[in-house]
Amino acid sequence: AGSHGTFLKGSGDTKYSAQVMNCKANGAVYPSSGVSSIKKPKMEQLQADHELFLQAFEKPTQIYRFLRTRNLIAPILLHRTLNFMSHRNSRTNAKRKTFKVDDLLSNVDGMKGEPGSQSLTSHLQLTFTGFFHKNDKPCQNSENDQNSVSLEVLLVKVCHKKRKDVSCPIKQVPTGKKQVPLNPNFSQTKSGAFPSLLVSSNEFEPSNSHMVKSYSLLFRVSHTGKRDPNGFINYEADENFDVKEELPSRKKRNSSHRGDGETPETFVAQMTVFDKNRRLQLLDGEYEVSMQQIEDCPVSKKRASWETILDGKRLPPFETFSQGPTLQFTLRWTGDPSTAPVAKPLSTRSSDTSTTESRPSTLRNAPVGKEDLVSTSIQTRREQSPCEPIQKLRIFYQFLYNNNTRQQTEARDDLHCPWCTLNCRKLYSLLKHLKLSHSRFIFNYVPHPKGARIDVSINECYDGSYVGNPQDIHSQPGFAFSRNGPVKRTAVTRILVCRPKRTKPSLSEFLESEDGEPEQQRTYVSGHNRLYFHSDSCMPLRPQEMEVDSEDERDPEWLREKTTTQIEEFTDVNEGEKEVMKLWNLHVMKNGFISDNQMSQASMLFVENYGPYIIRRNLCRNFLLHLVNLHDFNLVTTATIDRAMAHMKEMEESLPELEEGRESSDATCNGHAVSSVVSLHGKRSKSGVSD
Amino acid sequence: MGLTGRKSEKGPVCWRRRVKSEYMRLRQLKRFRRADEVKSMFSSNRQKILERTDILNQEWKLRRIQPVHIMTPCTVDSGFSEFSRQVIPLKTLNAVASVPVMYSWSPLQQNFMVEDETVLHNIPYMGDEILDQDGTFIEELIKNYDGKVHGDRECGFINDEIFVELVNALNQYSDNEEDDEEEDQHDCKFEKMDLCDGKDDAEDSHKDHALIQLKYIKGILHPKMKIFSLFNYPHVVPNPYKELTEQQLPGALPPECTPNIDGPNAKSVQREQSLHSFHTLFCRRCFKYDCFLHPFHATPNTYKRKNIENLVDGKPCGIYCYMEYPAGVIAERAKTPSKRTVSRRRGRLPNSNSRPSTPTVNTETKDTDSDREGGANSRCQTPVKLKLSSEPPENVDWSGAEASLFRVLIGTYYDNFCAIARLIGTKTCRQVYEFRVKESSIIARAPAVDENTPQRKKKRKHRLWATHCRKIQLKKGLYGSSNHVYNYQPCDHPRQPCDSSCPCVTAQNFCEKFCQCSSECQNRFPGCRCKAQCNTKQCPCYLAVRECDPDLCLTCGAADHWDSKNVSCKNCSIQRGAKKHLLLAPSDVAGWGIFIKEPVQKNEFISEYCGEIISQDEADRRGKVYDKYMCSFLFNLNNDFVVDATRKGNKIRFANHSVNPNCYAKVMMVNGDHRIGIFAKRAIQTGEELFFDYRYSQADALKYVGIEREMEIP
Repeated sequence: AGSHGTFLKGSGDTKYSAQVMNCKANGAVYPSSGVSSIKKPKMEQLQADHELFLQAFEKPTQIYRFLRTRNLIAPILLHRTLNFMSHRNSRTNAKRKTFKVDDLLSNVDGMKGEPGSQSLTSHLQLTFTGFFHKNDKPCQNSENDQNSVSLEVLLVKVCHKKRKDVSCPIKQVPTGKKQVPLNPNFSQTKSGAFPSLLVSSNEFEPSNSHMVKSYSLLFRVSHTGKRDPNGFINYEADENFDVKEELPSRKKRNSSHRGDGETPETFVAQMTVFDKNRRLQLLDGEYEVSMQQIEDCPVSKKRASWETILDGKRLPPFETFSQGPTLQFTLRWTGDPSTAPVAKPLSTRSSDTSTTESRPSTLRNAPVGKEDLVSTSIQTRREQSPCEPIQKLRIFYQFLYNNNTRQQTEARDDLHCPWCTLNCRKLYSLLKHLKLSHSRFIFNYVPHPKGARIDVSINECYDGSYVGNPQDIHSQPGFAFSRNGPVKRTAVTRILVCRPKRTKPSLSEFLESEDGEPEQQRTYVSGHNRLYFHSDSCMPLRPQEMEVDSEDERDPEWLREKTTTQIEEFTDVNEGEKEVMKLWNLHVMKNGFISDNQMSQASMLFVENYGPYIIRRNLCRNFLLHLVNLHDFNLVTTATIDRAMAHMKEMEESLPELEEGRESSDATCNGHAVSSVVSLHGKRSKSGVSD
Repeated sequence: MGLTGRKSEKGPVCWRRRVKSEYMRLRQLKRFRRADEVKSMFSSNRQKILERTDILNQEWKLRRIQPVHIMTPCTVDSGFSEFSRQVIPLKTLNAVASVPVMYSWSPLQQNFMVEDETVLHNIPYMGDEILDQDGTFIEELIKNYDGKVHGDRECGFINDEIFVELVNALNQYSDNEEDDEEEDQHDCKFEKMDLCDGKDDAEDSHKDHALIQLKYIKGILHPKMKIFSLFNYPHVVPNPYKELTEQQLPGALPPECTPNIDGPNAKSVQREQSLHSFHTLFCRRCFKYDCFLHPFHATPNTYKRKNIENLVDGKPCGIYCYMEYPAGVIAERAKTPSKRTVSRRRGRLPNSNSRPSTPTVNTETKDTDSDREGGANSRCQTPVKLKLSSEPPENVDWSGAEASLFRVLIGTYYDNFCAIARLIGTKTCRQVYEFRVKESSIIARAPAVDENTPQRKKKRKHRLWATHCRKIQLKKGLYGSSNHVYNYQPCDHPRQPCDSSCPCVTAQNFCEKFCQCSSECQNRFPGCRCKAQCNTKQCPCYLAVRECDPDLCLTCGAADHWDSKNVSCKNCSIQRGAKKHLLLAPSDVAGWGIFIKEPVQKNEFISEYCGEIISQDEADRRGKVYDKYMCSFLFNLNNDFVVDATRKGNKIRFANHSVNPNCYAKVMMVNGDHRIGIFAKRAIQTGEELFFDYRYSQADALKYVGIEREMEIP
């Protein structure tokens, strides 16, 4: 198993890698790999083979691992809403039938009466369900009587600083010591037998001498553990062990480290009851507190960070809860100390929606117990469907790589997805999930006497292009799924499902297709699945700019400028002519006239658009010359000239303020022209153009 | 020339020094000015960029960005105790995916013709390894341009502008010496130059000396010769200074330039002169002045007047109308042309196929009061008769502008004095009429109308069309067999039919409406008479790989619905610019790619492949560089020209090559111009990338591209 240490480190918490080891450790129980069938393969050969295996599967696995974690923290979809996962949906619509909007008020009113008295009345009741520490064997397997740890609960009062004090005075009030079961197995422990503790609410009243700033509970667990110094890897190794089988070998391995394990260890955790604003922080509920070993972290952390570093490895969030020492308890504010609540273990521990890997050590031993857990944690759960595998279903994952010439087989005894640890509960669901969510692989289902075999190979035609909303690429990560509050998302209308024809769920759809051709993984969303760019600036196209075609204008700015400068360059064309020519060119470019037929219409439109400007700049005669020119080219009739000029005259009359402005603009026009001649003289002449 | 005495020796030396220092000063000044220009350009450009980024920043401000969970705050320790340690949360910027390289280009929606480049504008840099491997490449490149590289010349050249400034600057040196004999400014200057070194020479030798000096100065302007050495070699060249400075005088213009008719200096000139600029610069094909596409414009002088229309309202325009005044001859005369007018105008009615040039019978006319005998009078008699008018002409002042305008309009309106007066605006028709009488000797006569029998016309036209259609079929055979498509150039061979000597015929092109030949020319393309969509070979236009001409094809809809994209004719998309919305994104294949926004059907027009139109020679030269870059946007247009979308183009230039493309290219004749259309080869879905086969476009287009691009395809 040691030879796979690299893989473990490389891919962090890859679950199935543990199975690789498992398989090997068991002495090649399922010898399907060509290499492993050879009794004593050369080490290098094995290494090389393993390299190939890693090459093929490491990257997609890492990606899916990452996605799994992300989906746990910030889910994008709920699996239970998927059609093939409908059995995960625990809600019923039964209540909807009787629901009335009018009842809302009375419901709230009814609720209001109760909690008012609750707050500070009497007692804080803590019922401890167990102390969980991975490195310790479950209690029932332990040979010695170390099946419980001693827990001490202290109430810590942080007082306000007085003048003479250097730091805030802290008062610790012991509230009691209890023996708490270590790694209890809930199937064997009767509920109600858990130790519980009462803290009088008087304790939280302002005390006499010091003004108390905040109250918190300090849990201190001391236990003479058999901690394995390199426990983490060890943990990984025995995670999937069938404990009964594995015990001897494990013992052997651990025995070498046993020497330093017998020292008593102390774990602490602190939880704030009232913060300094006297806000109640701990409401009724089930809690699981992550404990810190005291010599590791002498400074008690107020809260467990969601990312923890253990043995130099960074653990994904919530991983601490799966292995680190945790204390589970039920907290209740109660008026009557005699009515202790029925303690039950926290469902996070083993239910399939758990934030982390399930605890196979417990589950494996008692699948029935697990069912109990589920059913107790959610009271309204309907009866398990009959297809729920009660019997052990073994699933063999056969990894094909190196152009399908090599394979490696792993087995699992449950229907959890090996990549995202999602409990699919049904073989069909599992296969469907694998196929849809992990399309970087190709999955082929082969029936197997003991359960099922799934051939896993790399999907060479996987389309890595983004199939989501392309605008999300532009908007940076963190924006699209912001947790800070509502954010404006890019509005994109798209039909995702349009009543697709649903075939009856059948495992045959996962069988390898007859023609042997691997099924093309087609993208389900066609259309604009990429980010577009502006052609002029190479800047990303914002969604609101999608509809605007940057090419829509026939006369780009530079071309307009070009035509004016080009005309301005002529030395033997006078300024009035230039002005009219420029206006006309811009007019034609803007409107894109293409036929002789359009010319009279174009002339009239020209008058409409530029008439006032022409009058203001005193260019009427030049305009008339232009019209005559069009006539000379047979493009307009005299009727058009007459109409255009008549319209011009009308305009002139309707612009009374023109008269005085005319003289000045006249002067500027001519003056301007003169200066332009000076600056551009000698550049071009029309005679040069015409020959 | 025998004058170069001892006395004058001092002068040139001193002057040479002065000229040298002044020249240097001016050059420096120019450099500074240029630097300032560049600076201001840069800052204005900068401003534009800032404005753009502001838009984006505004949007970013509105966004809520989730802070990345920071594990390690960034701390900065200062070595000095007085500064506290600074701690700031570490914010990691997300990596931004890089986009493919794009060289800048200018957007264009229509082709743009550029001249051949005679100098190499830049020496392309393609990485050191290419230069090392192929050191001769650049040499060969420069050899292509006869060794001329842009920016080579720096000294030794003097342009007109600097010359004028130089002479002006030199003027100041002789300011204190007074001499008033000179006729004009420049002579004065040279005289002064002379005076400052010469003592008291005789008057004539004085002048002589001045002439030599003048020649020296002239020499300066001679191109390619160094300014200072020229002082020793007097050349006889026309005085450029005079020429150049005269232009600067306010209102003064070069002799070939007519003064602004709306300006204060308007002169009374002939019609041709008034319209000269308009005539020469107007492009009858683009309807623009000095267009970007056609370097040669035909002037309308060579156009046959195809229609003579004349608008004389038979009735007097008012109580003071000239018609009322002499009452006799004029009134009769004036009514005569009106009949012609009416009938001719009918000929010009839109949608009628009749030739405007053919006069029709004088049928029902609006004016009923006229006596028909007058109709027999030809218009050319008019001036003679007008002279006979007994009334003494009023003494009215005609300004230059008015006189010019009158001459322009008389060439269009002939003796419709009322209309002319209305257009001039400042004169009554009677004054116009009288001026006409005065001017009669120089007025151009209305061209004689060649009388065609109108009855024949329709039948002939019909026959014509039938033969045309047959000819197209014939031509099609030729067309298909040969890859050579020649550029169209309007033919102009007066009084000669379009036979084998006509350039259009030899180039196997049809004559277009832009040709100077008669509209009944046998080589003209008649257009189609389709009622359908013109997208099958039933349509003669489609068959001839032409787009429908809106002036010829009047039934298919090519001439309708100018503002809407809903045209029944599907064969006029290029000219109307009915392109599809294309989107730019990194290609799935190589570099950038172009993607379609909306789905299109098979054979639908997608976009025109636009760019610079360059000659084949220029394409050869450019292609050498593009080949080295392994990236070319050259596209063969016809035998004479190539479209190059490297510097100017539109988005379709980003379409990649594929051997299994979804688009095809077709070179079409569009209103006299060859243009490249890109069409859908099959139905294309939203968001698909567009490809076309660079090799199989018409006339083995893209001879430079095919090979390299193919390698990019996996």
